[in-house]
Amino acid sequence: SIPTSAASEADPEQLQQEQHARSVLRESFLRCLLSMNSKKVQFHMHEKVKLEATFGASDIDVLNFQVSDLHTPIGVQKEALIRCQDVISFTFDV
Amino acid sequence: MMQCGWPLLGPLQWIRYVNRQVMVKAGNDEEHRGWLLTVDPVSASLVLVTFREEGRASVQVVMGHAVEEVQVLQEADEETTRRLQTSFLPARTCGLDP
Amino acid sequence: SWRSSLGPPCERPGERRGAEMKKLYGKDAPKIIAMETAMQLTFDRNCDLKKPKYWPVIPLKL
Repeated sequence: SIPTSAASEADPEQLQQEQHARSVLRESFLRCLLSMNSKKVQFHMHEKVKLEATFGASDIDVLNFQVSDLHTPIGVQKEALIRCQDVISFTFDV
Repeated sequence: MMQCGWPLLGPLQWIRYVNRQVMVKAGNDEEHRGWLLTVDPVSASLVLVTFREEGRASVQVVMGHAVEEVQVLQEADEETTRRLQTSFLPARTCGLDP
Repeated sequence: SWRSSLGPPCERPGERRGAEMKKLYGKDAPKIIAMETAMQLTFDRNCDLKKPKYWPVIPLKL
């Protein structure tokens, strides 16, 4: 879970500001993940591995991505889960 | 501006980077530049947008755990901010600035 | 397991999560919970339907 800052615990006004900032950021991120549905995504993984896949969905804890047609160095895997810990970054076009 | 411990900064710090053009170093040898749309408060991941021709854009998401450094390059002007916040996501229900 | 870690089932995870979310997101908590619930549902349904396997089998980053 996400820690709230010590300052916010003491100051209700700052707590509200922090909650508002967190909501705005999270909503925007969730919309970004939702917009990726069925899009071609390029993943840059640790150990210099690059993958392309069709994005399916993410779990809400951002631990796993569910993808289809994953192009791996050793062939195509029809349905796959990618561990977010293995990923450095990913790219898609809008 | 060098930032250590990016995942620990928290929402009030992260939101100050929104609508700025940033350079992010990640995972030892990756460097990304783009306009910062948002930072996921759960994973500290950054969403960067690079505008292309004809209203198209490319989106890069850098996972929070891999972030080494975040540098602010410049602030967005009004037009870029508008483009950033409306380019590919449904209309927002509220603005970013208090 | 790919199932989200919402806590042990005996703890009534819905209730506990609700309180946690309220603390994190304040008055916007219901909106964020609604969005997250929909997203997790899609993820769970896709996993049930498509039975995806982890790639790579062993994590790259331990």
